[in-house]
Amino acid sequence: MSATKAVINGTEIKVKAGTTILEAARQAGFEVPTLCHHPELTPSGNCRMCVVEVEGSPRLVASCHTPLAQGMVIQTHSDKVLAARKAVVELLLTAHTGPCVNDSRASACELHKLAAELEVGPPRFQVQAPRFYPVENDSPYVRRDMSRCILCRRCVRACREVAKKGILSMAYRGFQSKVVFEADDPLNSEQCKDCGVCIEFCPTSALSKPVEEVA
Amino acid sequence: MVKKQKAKARDALLGMIKEQQDSQGHVSREAMEHLARSFSLPLGEVYGVATFYTFLSTKSQGRHVIRVCQSMPCHLKDSGQVVDWISQELCLEPGQTTPDGRFTLEVTNCIGACDQAPAMLIDDVVYGGLDPQKVAQILRSMD
Repeated sequence: MSATKAVINGTEIKVKAGTTILEAARQAGFEVPTLCHHPELTPSGNCRMCVVEVEGSPRLVASCHTPLAQGMVIQTHSDKVLAARKAVVELLLTAHTGPCVNDSRASACELHKLAAELEVGPPRFQVQAPRFYPVENDSPYVRRDMSRCILCRRCVRACREVAKKGILSMAYRGFQSKVVFEADDPLNSEQCKDCGVCIEFCPTSALSKPVEEVA
Repeated sequence: MVKKQKAKARDALLGMIKEQQDSQGHVSREAMEHLARSFSLPLGEVYGVATFYTFLSTKSQGRHVIRVCQSMPCHLKDSGQVVDWISQELCLEPGQTTPDGRFTLEVTNCIGACDQAPAMLIDDVVYGGLDPQKVAQILRSMD
Protein backbone atom coordinates (compact mmCIF):
# COMPACT_ATOMS: atom_id res chain seq x y z
CA MET A 1 0.00 0.00 0.00
CA SER A 2 1.45 3.35 -1.01
CA ALA A 3 1.75 6.11 1.54
CA THR A 4 0.45 9.64 1.39
CA LYS A 5 2.55 12.49 2.74
CA ALA A 6 1.05 15.74 3.91
CA VAL A 7 1.50 18.50 6.45
CA ILE A 8 -1.00 19.02 9.25
CA ASN A 9 -0.55 22.06 11.50
CA GLY A 10 3.09 22.25 10.44
CA THR A 11 3.82 18.60 11.27
CA GLU A 12 4.84 16.33 8.43
CA ILE A 13 2.82 13.12 8.42
CA LYS A 14 2.80 9.92 6.41
CA VAL A 15 -0.31 7.75 6.33
CA LYS A 16 -1.77 4.85 4.36
CA ALA A 17 -3.31 5.93 1.05
CA GLY A 18 -7.08 6.41 1.34
CA THR A 19 -6.94 7.70 4.91
CA THR A 20 -9.31 10.60 5.49
CA ILE A 21 -8.02 13.95 6.69
CA LEU A 22 -9.84 13.37 9.99
CA GLU A 23 -8.19 10.00 10.60
CA ALA A 24 -4.78 11.37 9.64
CA ALA A 25 -5.18 14.37 11.95
CA ARG A 26 -6.22 12.13 14.84
CA GLN A 27 -3.31 9.78 14.22
CA ALA A 28 -1.02 12.79 14.43
CA GLY A 29 -2.63 13.77 17.72
CA PHE A 30 -4.80 16.67 16.55
CA GLU A 31 -8.33 16.39 17.86
CA VAL A 32 -10.88 17.54 15.27
CA PRO A 33 -14.41 17.72 16.65
CA THR A 34 -17.13 15.73 14.88
CA LEU A 35 -20.85 15.36 15.24
CA CYS A 36 -22.51 13.55 12.33
CA HIS A 37 -19.43 11.39 11.92
CA HIS A 38 -19.11 8.05 13.67
CA PRO A 39 -16.21 5.65 13.12
CA GLU A 40 -18.58 2.71 12.68
CA LEU A 41 -20.70 4.43 10.02
CA THR A 42 -20.23 5.58 6.43
CA PRO A 43 -19.12 9.24 6.50
CA SER A 44 -21.92 11.62 5.62
CA GLY A 45 -20.34 15.08 5.87
CA ASN A 46 -23.61 16.84 6.59
CA CYS A 47 -22.90 18.69 9.85
CA ARG A 48 -19.68 20.54 8.86
CA MET A 49 -18.31 20.36 12.40
CA CYS A 50 -15.09 18.71 11.23
CA VAL A 51 -14.15 21.35 8.65
CA VAL A 52 -10.46 22.10 8.16
CA GLU A 53 -8.52 24.54 6.03
CA VAL A 54 -6.66 23.03 3.08
CA GLU A 55 -4.13 25.31 1.43
CA GLY A 56 -5.24 26.14 -2.11
CA SER A 57 -8.84 25.10 -1.56
CA PRO A 58 -11.30 27.98 -1.99
CA ARG A 59 -13.44 26.77 0.88
CA LEU A 60 -13.19 24.72 4.03
CA VAL A 61 -13.48 20.98 3.53
CA ALA A 62 -15.17 18.41 5.73
CA SER A 63 -12.31 16.24 6.99
CA CYS A 64 -14.47 13.20 7.84
CA HIS A 65 -15.11 12.25 4.22
CA THR A 66 -12.22 13.89 2.36
CA PRO A 67 -9.30 11.57 1.68
CA LEU A 68 -5.88 13.00 2.43
CA ALA A 69 -4.12 13.79 -0.85
CA GLN A 70 -0.40 13.87 -1.54
CA GLY A 71 1.19 17.15 -0.44
CA MET A 72 -1.88 18.68 1.23
CA VAL A 73 -1.14 21.44 3.71
CA ILE A 74 -3.83 21.47 6.38
CA GLN A 75 -4.78 23.66 9.32
CA THR A 76 -7.19 22.07 11.78
CA HIS A 77 -7.47 24.95 14.23
CA SER A 78 -6.98 28.20 12.29
CA ASP A 79 -9.15 31.22 13.12
CA LYS A 80 -11.21 30.65 10.01
CA VAL A 81 -11.86 27.02 10.94
CA LEU A 82 -12.75 27.82 14.56
CA ALA A 83 -15.14 30.57 13.45
CA ALA A 84 -16.86 28.18 11.07
CA ARG A 85 -17.21 25.46 13.71
CA LYS A 86 -18.66 27.93 16.19
CA ALA A 87 -21.18 29.09 13.60
CA VAL A 88 -22.16 25.49 12.90
CA VAL A 89 -22.84 24.86 16.59
CA GLU A 90 -24.76 28.12 16.83
CA LEU A 91 -26.93 27.26 13.85
CA LEU A 92 -27.66 23.80 15.23
CA LEU A 93 -28.49 25.22 18.65
CA THR A 94 -30.77 27.85 17.15
CA ALA A 95 -33.43 25.29 16.39
CA HIS A 96 -32.46 23.21 19.35
CA THR A 97 -32.57 25.19 22.60
CA GLY A 98 -35.15 25.38 25.34
CA PRO A 99 -35.92 22.67 27.84
CA CYS A 100 -32.77 20.74 26.83
CA VAL A 101 -30.72 22.85 29.17
CA ASN A 102 -32.37 21.60 32.35
CA ASP A 103 -33.34 18.12 31.23
CA SER A 104 -31.45 15.15 32.63
CA ARG A 105 -31.85 13.31 29.32
CA ALA A 106 -29.84 16.06 27.65
CA SER A 107 -26.84 15.80 29.96
CA ALA A 108 -24.99 13.60 27.49
CA CYS A 109 -25.86 15.70 24.44
CA GLU A 110 -22.83 15.90 22.16
CA LEU A 111 -24.00 19.20 20.72
CA HIS A 112 -24.06 20.80 24.16
CA LYS A 113 -20.62 19.40 24.90
CA LEU A 114 -19.28 20.87 21.67
CA ALA A 115 -20.92 24.20 22.46
CA ALA A 116 -19.11 24.22 25.80
CA GLU A 117 -15.79 23.16 24.28
CA LEU A 118 -15.95 25.77 21.53
CA GLU A 119 -17.25 28.40 23.96
CA VAL A 120 -20.38 29.10 22.00
CA GLY A 121 -22.83 31.34 23.81
CA PRO A 122 -26.52 31.81 23.07
CA PRO A 123 -27.02 31.73 19.29
CA ARG A 124 -27.21 35.11 17.51
CA PHE A 125 -29.76 33.82 15.04
CA GLN A 126 -33.47 34.12 15.59
CA VAL A 127 -36.05 31.73 14.26
CA GLN A 128 -39.65 32.66 13.61
CA ALA A 129 -40.97 29.20 14.35
CA PRO A 130 -38.69 26.62 15.98
CA ARG A 131 -39.13 23.09 14.71
CA PHE A 132 -41.59 21.39 16.99
CA TYR A 133 -42.88 17.83 16.99
CA PRO A 134 -44.84 16.08 19.73
CA VAL A 135 -42.85 13.38 21.54
CA GLU A 136 -43.51 9.95 20.05
CA ASN A 137 -43.78 7.37 22.77
CA ASP A 138 -45.66 4.68 20.83
CA SER A 139 -42.82 2.21 20.60
CA PRO A 140 -41.79 0.10 23.59
CA TYR A 141 -38.20 0.28 22.30
CA VAL A 142 -37.51 3.86 21.27
CA ARG A 143 -38.84 7.19 22.48
CA ARG A 144 -38.56 9.82 19.76
CA ASP A 145 -38.44 13.54 20.50
CA MET A 146 -37.84 14.94 17.04
CA SER A 147 -37.85 18.56 18.21
CA ARG A 148 -34.37 17.79 19.52
CA CYS A 149 -33.15 16.08 16.40
CA ILE A 150 -30.31 17.86 14.60
CA LEU A 151 -30.69 15.81 11.40
CA CYS A 152 -27.19 14.30 11.59
CA ARG A 153 -28.57 11.04 10.13
CA ARG A 154 -26.54 8.86 12.47
CA CYS A 155 -29.68 6.88 13.38
CA VAL A 156 -30.56 6.44 9.71
CA ARG A 157 -27.12 5.05 8.95
CA ALA A 158 -26.91 2.98 12.15
CA CYS A 159 -30.30 1.39 11.43
CA ARG A 160 -29.13 0.49 7.94
CA GLU A 161 -25.48 -0.38 8.53
CA VAL A 162 -25.29 -1.66 12.10
CA ALA A 163 -28.78 -2.96 12.86
CA LYS A 164 -29.19 -4.06 9.20
CA LYS A 165 -32.82 -2.99 9.22
CA GLY A 166 -32.83 0.26 7.29
CA ILE A 167 -36.29 1.31 8.35
CA LEU A 168 -35.44 4.96 9.04
CA SER A 169 -35.25 7.50 6.20
CA MET A 170 -35.06 11.23 5.59
CA ALA A 171 -38.21 12.93 4.34
CA TYR A 172 -39.43 16.42 3.47
CA ARG A 173 -37.12 19.29 2.70
CA GLY A 174 -35.39 22.30 4.21
CA PHE A 175 -36.81 23.35 7.58
CA GLN A 176 -39.35 20.54 7.36
CA SER A 177 -36.68 17.82 7.00
CA LYS A 178 -37.32 14.96 9.38
CA VAL A 179 -36.18 11.42 10.09
CA VAL A 180 -39.20 9.22 9.43
CA PHE A 181 -40.33 5.64 9.68
CA GLU A 182 -42.27 4.53 6.59
CA ALA A 183 -44.64 7.30 5.49
CA ASP A 184 -43.94 9.33 8.65
CA ASP A 185 -45.85 6.75 10.69
CA PRO A 186 -45.47 5.97 14.40
CA LEU A 187 -42.75 3.35 14.94
CA ASN A 188 -44.40 -0.03 14.82
CA SER A 189 -43.01 -2.77 16.98
CA GLU A 190 -43.11 -5.38 14.24
CA GLN A 191 -40.32 -3.79 12.23
CA CYS A 192 -38.61 -1.92 15.05
CA LYS A 193 -37.98 -4.23 17.97
CA ASP A 194 -35.42 -5.59 20.43
CA CYS A 195 -32.73 -3.33 19.09
CA GLY A 196 -32.24 0.24 20.27
CA VAL A 197 -29.06 0.62 18.19
CA CYS A 198 -30.20 4.05 16.97
CA ILE A 199 -30.42 5.28 20.57
CA GLU A 200 -26.73 4.58 21.13
CA PHE A 201 -25.81 6.43 17.96
CA CYS A 202 -27.97 9.51 18.56
CA PRO A 203 -25.74 12.41 19.68
CA THR A 204 -28.64 14.30 21.26
CA SER A 205 -31.58 13.33 23.44
CA ALA A 206 -33.85 12.99 20.39
CA LEU A 207 -33.80 9.21 20.73
CA SER A 208 -33.91 7.58 24.11
CA LYS A 209 -35.11 4.50 25.92
CA PRO A 210 -38.78 4.82 26.83
CA VAL A 211 -39.43 5.63 30.47
CA GLU A 212 -41.98 3.69 32.41
CA GLU A 213 -44.93 5.92 33.12
CA VAL A 214 -45.18 6.44 36.88
CA ALA A 215 -48.76 5.79 37.89
CA MET B 1 -22.72 -6.70 -10.41
CA VAL B 2 -25.76 -7.14 -8.25
CA LYS B 3 -24.94 -3.85 -6.60
CA LYS B 4 -24.76 -2.12 -9.97
CA GLN B 5 -28.18 -3.40 -11.01
CA LYS B 6 -29.64 -2.25 -7.74
CA ALA B 7 -28.17 1.24 -8.13
CA LYS B 8 -29.66 1.49 -11.60
CA ALA B 9 -33.07 0.52 -10.27
CA ARG B 10 -32.86 3.25 -7.64
CA ASP B 11 -32.23 5.85 -10.36
CA ALA B 12 -35.54 5.00 -12.01
CA LEU B 13 -37.51 5.66 -8.83
CA LEU B 14 -38.08 9.39 -9.29
CA GLY B 15 -39.37 8.89 -12.84
CA MET B 16 -41.85 6.30 -11.68
CA ILE B 17 -43.08 8.47 -8.83
CA LYS B 18 -43.53 11.29 -11.37
CA GLU B 19 -45.58 8.96 -13.57
CA GLN B 20 -47.88 8.27 -10.64
CA GLN B 21 -48.23 11.98 -9.98
CA ASP B 22 -49.08 12.69 -13.64
CA SER B 23 -51.55 9.86 -14.09
CA GLN B 24 -53.24 9.89 -10.68
CA GLY B 25 -52.84 13.52 -9.63
CA HIS B 26 -50.98 12.46 -6.52
CA VAL B 27 -48.78 9.67 -5.18
CA SER B 28 -50.95 7.53 -2.94
CA ARG B 29 -49.72 5.43 -0.06
CA GLU B 30 -50.67 2.30 -2.02
CA ALA B 31 -48.58 3.50 -4.97
CA MET B 32 -45.61 4.21 -2.69
CA GLU B 33 -45.92 0.79 -1.05
CA HIS B 34 -46.03 -0.82 -4.47
CA LEU B 35 -42.94 1.09 -5.64
CA ALA B 36 -41.10 0.27 -2.41
CA ARG B 37 -41.75 -3.43 -2.95
CA SER B 38 -40.73 -3.40 -6.60
CA PHE B 39 -37.51 -1.49 -5.88
CA SER B 40 -36.78 -3.47 -2.68
CA LEU B 41 -36.56 -0.22 -0.77
CA PRO B 42 -38.01 0.69 2.61
CA LEU B 43 -41.23 2.66 2.23
CA GLY B 44 -39.51 5.57 3.94
CA GLU B 45 -37.09 5.98 1.01
CA VAL B 46 -39.95 6.32 -1.47
CA TYR B 47 -41.81 8.63 0.90
CA GLY B 48 -38.63 10.68 1.28
CA VAL B 49 -38.36 11.27 -2.45
CA ALA B 50 -42.09 11.94 -2.85
CA THR B 51 -42.08 14.56 -0.09
CA PHE B 52 -38.85 16.26 -1.17
CA TYR B 53 -40.22 17.73 -4.40
CA THR B 54 -42.99 20.31 -4.20
CA PHE B 55 -44.36 19.15 -7.56
CA LEU B 56 -45.09 15.75 -6.09
CA SER B 57 -47.92 15.32 -3.63
CA THR B 58 -48.76 12.44 -1.32
CA LYS B 59 -52.29 13.77 -0.79
CA SER B 60 -54.98 14.12 -3.43
CA GLN B 61 -55.15 17.64 -4.82
CA GLY B 62 -57.82 20.03 -6.02
CA ARG B 63 -58.80 20.78 -9.63
CA HIS B 64 -56.32 23.67 -9.71
CA VAL B 65 -53.01 23.65 -7.88
CA ILE B 66 -51.72 27.07 -6.88
CA ARG B 67 -47.99 27.14 -6.22
CA VAL B 68 -46.66 30.35 -4.72
CA CYS B 69 -42.92 30.78 -5.17
CA GLN B 70 -41.02 31.31 -1.91
CA SER B 71 -37.48 31.51 -3.27
CA MET B 72 -35.31 34.53 -2.55
CA PRO B 73 -36.42 37.13 -5.18
CA CYS B 74 -40.10 36.35 -4.54
CA HIS B 75 -39.48 36.26 -0.80
CA LEU B 76 -37.94 39.74 -0.95
CA LYS B 77 -40.99 40.89 -2.92
CA ASP B 78 -43.16 39.64 -0.04
CA SER B 79 -44.42 36.35 -1.40
CA GLY B 80 -45.56 35.61 2.17
CA GLN B 81 -48.25 38.22 1.61
CA VAL B 82 -49.33 36.53 -1.61
CA VAL B 83 -49.89 33.35 0.41
CA ASP B 84 -51.90 35.40 2.94
CA TRP B 85 -54.08 36.97 0.22
CA ILE B 86 -54.88 33.59 -1.28
CA SER B 87 -55.41 32.05 2.17
CA GLN B 88 -57.94 34.77 2.99
CA GLU B 89 -59.68 34.64 -0.37
CA LEU B 90 -60.08 30.86 -0.30
CA CYS B 91 -60.02 30.22 3.48
CA LEU B 92 -57.24 27.65 3.34
CA GLU B 93 -53.68 27.24 4.52
CA PRO B 94 -50.73 26.09 2.40
CA GLY B 95 -50.95 22.33 1.92
CA GLN B 96 -54.75 22.34 2.10
CA THR B 97 -57.47 21.88 -0.50
CA THR B 98 -60.78 23.77 -0.54
CA PRO B 99 -63.74 21.62 0.58
CA ASP B 100 -65.27 21.90 -2.92
CA GLY B 101 -62.08 20.44 -4.40
CA ARG B 102 -61.49 23.52 -6.56
CA PHE B 103 -58.09 24.70 -5.32
CA THR B 104 -55.05 23.36 -3.55
CA LEU B 105 -52.58 25.91 -2.17
CA GLU B 106 -48.89 25.06 -2.03
CA VAL B 107 -45.65 26.96 -1.62
CA THR B 108 -42.84 26.01 -3.93
CA ASN B 109 -39.23 26.78 -4.75
CA CYS B 110 -38.00 28.86 -7.69
CA ILE B 111 -40.26 28.63 -10.74
CA GLY B 112 -37.90 30.66 -12.93
CA ALA B 113 -40.05 33.78 -12.96
CA CYS B 114 -37.78 35.89 -10.76
CA ASP B 115 -38.17 38.89 -13.11
CA GLN B 116 -41.91 38.86 -12.35
CA ALA B 117 -41.60 38.43 -8.58
CA PRO B 118 -43.73 37.82 -6.62
CA ALA B 119 -44.93 35.03 -8.86
CA MET B 120 -47.09 31.94 -8.68
CA LEU B 121 -48.08 29.03 -10.85
CA ILE B 122 -51.62 27.85 -11.24
CA ASP B 123 -51.43 24.43 -12.83
CA ASP B 124 -48.91 25.14 -15.63
CA VAL B 125 -49.45 28.88 -16.06
CA VAL B 126 -47.18 31.53 -14.52
CA TYR B 127 -48.74 34.66 -13.00
CA GLY B 128 -46.31 37.42 -12.02
CA GLY B 129 -46.26 40.92 -10.57
CA LEU B 130 -48.99 39.92 -8.13
CA ASP B 131 -51.03 42.31 -6.02
CA PRO B 132 -54.21 41.66 -4.01
CA GLN B 133 -56.56 42.77 -6.80
CA LYS B 134 -54.75 40.73 -9.41
CA VAL B 135 -54.76 37.62 -7.20
CA ALA B 136 -58.48 37.95 -6.51
CA GLN B 137 -59.22 38.48 -10.20
CA ILE B 138 -57.17 35.44 -11.26
CA LEU B 139 -58.79 33.20 -8.68
CA ARG B 140 -62.29 34.29 -9.70
CA SER B 141 -61.56 33.56 -13.35
CA MET B 142 -60.90 29.88 -12.56
CA ASP B 143 -63.63 27.30 -12.96
